[in-house]
Amino acid sequence: MRKNQHRNQSKAAKLCLITIAVISLTSCMVRQDSLQNLIMDEEMKTDVVNLFGPMEKSIPNGVNTARSAFDMTIFAAEEKWNLSVEYRTYTAENYQEKTYDDVTLDRVRNRMDDLYLLNPDTIQILGAEGRLLDLSILESAKNLRDVVKMANTVDGKLVAIPQEIVVHGLFVNQDMFEQYNLELPHTPEEFLECCRVFKENGIETPVGANRWWLENFVFALAYADLYNGGTAEEEIEALNCGEKKYSDYLRPGFMFLKELMDKGYVDAETAYTYEAIEGEGPDFLAQKTPIVMAYWGAANTVTAYGAPDFTMKVIGFPSSRGQMPVISMTGYGIVADAENRENTIKVLDSILSDESLQVYSEKNRVISPSKNVEVECIPALQPLNNRVKENIYVLGSNAGMKLEQWGNVCILVRNLMSGATVDECMEELDRLQEETLK
Amino acid sequence: MREVTGKKNGKQRQGEGNQGLSLIVSIILVFCILGTIVFSVARKISMEMSASAINNLSESLGLLKGTIEAILDKEADFQKLMAQEITMLDDPEEFIRSYRRNNTMVKVSLIFAGEEEGYSNTGGVFTEEGLDFSNHKMVNGLPISKSYLNDMGTWAYTLKAPVVKDGNEIATLYMEYIYDSFEESLPRGFYGGHAMLYIMDTESERLVLKPKGMGERNAGHLNLQDFYRANNILEKELQEQVAQSIVSGKNLMFYHKIQNKDSLIYMWAVNDGTLYMIGYVPIESIQQEGRTVSQNIFIVVLVTLAAFFLCCLLYYLNQKQQNMLRREREEEREVHNKQLAEALQAAQIASNSKTTFLSNMSHDIRTPMNAILGFTTLLAKDAENPVKVKAYTKKIMSSGQHLLSLINDVLDVAKIESGKVVLTIAEFTLNDLVSSVDAIIRPIAAARNQAFHVSVTDIKHEYLIGDETRINQILINLLSNAVKYTPEGGNIWFRIIGLKQHSSQFEHIRIEVEDDGYGMTPEYLETIFDAFTRAENSTTNKVQGTGLGMAITKNIVELMGGTIEVTSEVDKGSLFKVDLELRIPDGQTDEQFWVNCGISRILAVDDDAEICKSIQVLMKDTGVVVDTVLRGEEAIRVLQEAYETDHAYQMLLLDWKMPGMDGVETAERIRSLFPEPIPILFLTAYDGDEVQEEALHSENIGILAKPFFVSAFKEKILEMRSRHQGENTAVEAVENNSLEGLHFLVAEDNEINAEILLELLGLEGAASEIVENGQLAVERFSMAAAGEFDAILMDVQMPVMNGYQATRMIRSLPRSDAKEIPIIAMTANAFAEDVKEALDSGMNVHVAKPIDMELLKKTVNQYVRIRKD
Repeated sequence: MRKNQHRNQSKAAKLCLITIAVISLTSCMVRQDSLQNLIMDEEMKTDVVNLFGPMEKSIPNGVNTARSAFDMTIFAAEEKWNLSVEYRTYTAENYQEKTYDDVTLDRVRNRMDDLYLLNPDTIQILGAEGRLLDLSILESAKNLRDVVKMANTVDGKLVAIPQEIVVHGLFVNQDMFEQYNLELPHTPEEFLECCRVFKENGIETPVGANRWWLENFVFALAYADLYNGGTAEEEIEALNCGEKKYSDYLRPGFMFLKELMDKGYVDAETAYTYEAIEGEGPDFLAQKTPIVMAYWGAANTVTAYGAPDFTMKVIGFPSSRGQMPVISMTGYGIVADAENRENTIKVLDSILSDESLQVYSEKNRVISPSKNVEVECIPALQPLNNRVKENIYVLGSNAGMKLEQWGNVCILVRNLMSGATVDECMEELDRLQEETLK
Repeated sequence: MREVTGKKNGKQRQGEGNQGLSLIVSIILVFCILGTIVFSVARKISMEMSASAINNLSESLGLLKGTIEAILDKEADFQKLMAQEITMLDDPEEFIRSYRRNNTMVKVSLIFAGEEEGYSNTGGVFTEEGLDFSNHKMVNGLPISKSYLNDMGTWAYTLKAPVVKDGNEIATLYMEYIYDSFEESLPRGFYGGHAMLYIMDTESERLVLKPKGMGERNAGHLNLQDFYRANNILEKELQEQVAQSIVSGKNLMFYHKIQNKDSLIYMWAVNDGTLYMIGYVPIESIQQEGRTVSQNIFIVVLVTLAAFFLCCLLYYLNQKQQNMLRREREEEREVHNKQLAEALQAAQIASNSKTTFLSNMSHDIRTPMNAILGFTTLLAKDAENPVKVKAYTKKIMSSGQHLLSLINDVLDVAKIESGKVVLTIAEFTLNDLVSSVDAIIRPIAAARNQAFHVSVTDIKHEYLIGDETRINQILINLLSNAVKYTPEGGNIWFRIIGLKQHSSQFEHIRIEVEDDGYGMTPEYLETIFDAFTRAENSTTNKVQGTGLGMAITKNIVELMGGTIEVTSEVDKGSLFKVDLELRIPDGQTDEQFWVNCGISRILAVDDDAEICKSIQVLMKDTGVVVDTVLRGEEAIRVLQEAYETDHAYQMLLLDWKMPGMDGVETAERIRSLFPEPIPILFLTAYDGDEVQEEALHSENIGILAKPFFVSAFKEKILEMRSRHQGENTAVEAVENNSLEGLHFLVAEDNEINAEILLELLGLEGAASEIVENGQLAVERFSMAAAGEFDAILMDVQMPVMNGYQATRMIRSLPRSDAKEIPIIAMTANAFAEDVKEALDSGMNVHVAKPIDMELLKKTVNQYVRIRKD
């Protein structure tokens, strides 16, 4: 037995020695191929698509790089079409510099790049200028939900397509609502009543706000009937040609906001200085504030509201038609006469395909623009998700409206926060509408 | 001597240990030196490669710098040409306005001297407002502005060139260039895409260009501070040093960890520091060759080490195997030597034993032979004196019997040793076994005035299955030895004890034979069961024996699956214990017998509680209630109570000897008290209480020998009943074993034997006819008239046809008496197998030679009488 073991060990050792010898001899072998002295430059020329966006590209082979969902879809497209997508970026250093949107407008107008990530206001502007390609030619455009098409169509052209539908809602601390026996609010009146109860019970500021997202209250109240009454196209047309005034729609929302501010339910002065989530977030997470507003993705992000110590629910903004999600979306657009137009179309079609959107939506856990892609959401988002599934929502940005909504209303709300009256805000709105009619 | 060898071995081992240690130390030392050399070489190579890599990087950056500066210079040269061209134009404005932007120069403007406003190719009024030339940086003699975002949404710079005509500066030509134009002249990434590179405007510290393939999300792409922040370069001192270098337009590099990788950060001045190329490259990327070389050195060292250790391992294994083989060979040799020594010793012992045995045999055979021959001589001499003839004949017979037993023992041992012994398993009763042993031993013991005590206790079943003959042989051997080796007047105990059963189907018994005789020495005890040994001392030498009895006994016991052990002490006696497990036969209950006899209750009276208990145990399966009392007075009381309550006993077992009122007295009292003469059986020991005749003459009284057995009890009951009924009052017919008038056919090839037999049978009044072999016997019988022969005495080993074949042929003859005539085997083949073969061949019975006439007469009479009946 022991003898066999020794014999086996000896055999194994000899085998290892032979293996080492063979490997050594093989590696020392020199290939005598004097004829192959000519060295060719094997640099491959690849097609390039230039993308302008706010972020740099992550290195494909980078170690420990948490690649974004967008990059993943881009890499898939590069691999599929054997081309390279070059990212170009711009970030303003300070307020005195041009904004991303300003630079985007300049670059699109000068055809500096092929593909752009556009904010809602630039989509509307560039679409109206006819500088963006009609994307309805894309194969993936057939899968889009109606809301996407509606929000990104200018003069009958689908000028931009997003990779996700951004839904804004109210993030509420359900434990605090239950503590004071309050039902989650559906209408403005119910919302005010909740705020009153919270205020009376020592909650100094029932609604946590920042300088960006209070406009969602306005949109919910303004357009609940427009988008859910079946007459959206006609009414938008009437607004575009000046038959109706935006101020008539937006006034109730501004008045509601004003009431919230006047009654101290929103601390306008502080909110004006707050950046999104960074300002009001800590108080909400510390359960000092029962209500904040944010976008869908904040509920999935641990650094935002993804891991609260309480039962959180995300509901729509109060409106006459109940809880109302507010949808806005950035989108990808192609310059109408892009230098690398064909390849750009291929890339965009690829990153908007159902396969890519599935990857994107699963990673970011967001609502996909494709009606074929469904991703389960976390329980907290269920109320908001249910409303979207019922097709009940308002659009915060609509490229079909000649007066850009998201940016302009944001500025007007800030004016309100700074002390302007509702009438002053509405006058400014009327002025802006008149400009669009010129 | 051994101690000296041990010391030598110790020193040798210590020496080997020291050698091994110094070998290990040497190897370690060699490896340390080798490791140091390899490390130094690898480090030197690595450093040289590193320096070379940095040099390469510097050259690469220098090349990039040269490219950018060349572009700037060309732009400046072109602009100067343009300025010169303008001086020759009649309508410079038209020239300017007609200029089409291209990928490099996107805007051309002109302001005439002394004016604030001018015009440009993009239309509208042009002023210098928004252009910052305060840095006083020049490109090929032309001032270059601080970088800015132009109306195309991209980073741009403007060079301004004076338009000089006739020595007077008549205007200034402004041309805007975009950084994007550098891209075409720069490589698409370097160091395999691992290096980052940005073009920084030194004045604003803004990163104005990221060439294709050279940016990264986490690299920081806004400005220098963003670059520091993103790459975690937070050391203030370092930042200050970098700032100073930038101000003085120096190129610089420094090491820093970026994204957990050691990296080389570079800042390379372009155009005297107007622009800076900043970025980083991981060290592993620029020192790839160095790393590969180090890795290869490492691999070579590893492979060498592996090969070295494998060689060591092979050598070690080889040595180990050699040592093992040597050890094994030594062990084998030792075992072999030991076996040889043992074999030699065994052979010597065997030789000694056999010499002793032969010596003993010589003595033991010669002794009776001497007696036989001596007395035969005397017989011839005193043939006329019948008294002496009778005495001599008796002694010759005795010596012959002894010689026969001697031969039987020798043959038995030979047979056992050759494994030919077969047990003859049959049902027997312990009663018969004890009776027969008692019948043999008691007279011998009595002859030596020895007390022979027999006891049977705790036996649950007296009917058992086993080889009664062999068990008998064991007991006779043990007991005859006890008698032999116990001086006159000693005691011998024979006990059969029931032990706890291991299985309900087997009776576990222990046979103990004890004496208070000479005993044995411990040395002899070790060899007592070996063949050809015999306790020898001055006392026992007087005892005749073959020395084979104990060997035979042990072998038989082991053949039966039992054990035998012995304890003994010189002059105190010996105790042999034989444990056997014997199968219990099925269905031995005979309740009907007791019902027929009308016995349902008996009373046993014995002062020995063990005997009372034994009676109860043995009677357990009979259905008879056995009550026991220890004294005669108590027995009378119990009988009275039973009588009064009408639960009378049908039988009384009464110990003959009891303290107080003994058995006879008790019996008399009982007879006087009860009108009905209850049957009484006196329990007596074999060594014979002298039975009082008068007591036995009383009605319904008998004697039952101890130990108590149910079978003996039943026989005694039958006997008493017969006597009681008066049917058997006549004296039993005297057994007549005479051979008078019988005619035998004798098949015997040995003439002397034939003659002896002829004479002996003739003396008994029988006629006989001798044939020399089986064939003749068959022929003679086939020719004989019916009833001519009363029996055939058949030898077995005969020439022509042996006894078995002859018997088979006789039995197959077509005669009416062929199957009936008794055929008696008379052969020296006296073993059980021989008996079996004889019976199998058709013989009726087997009688062993030498002929015991009494036995022969008895056997012949039995079979001839049966046939006649």
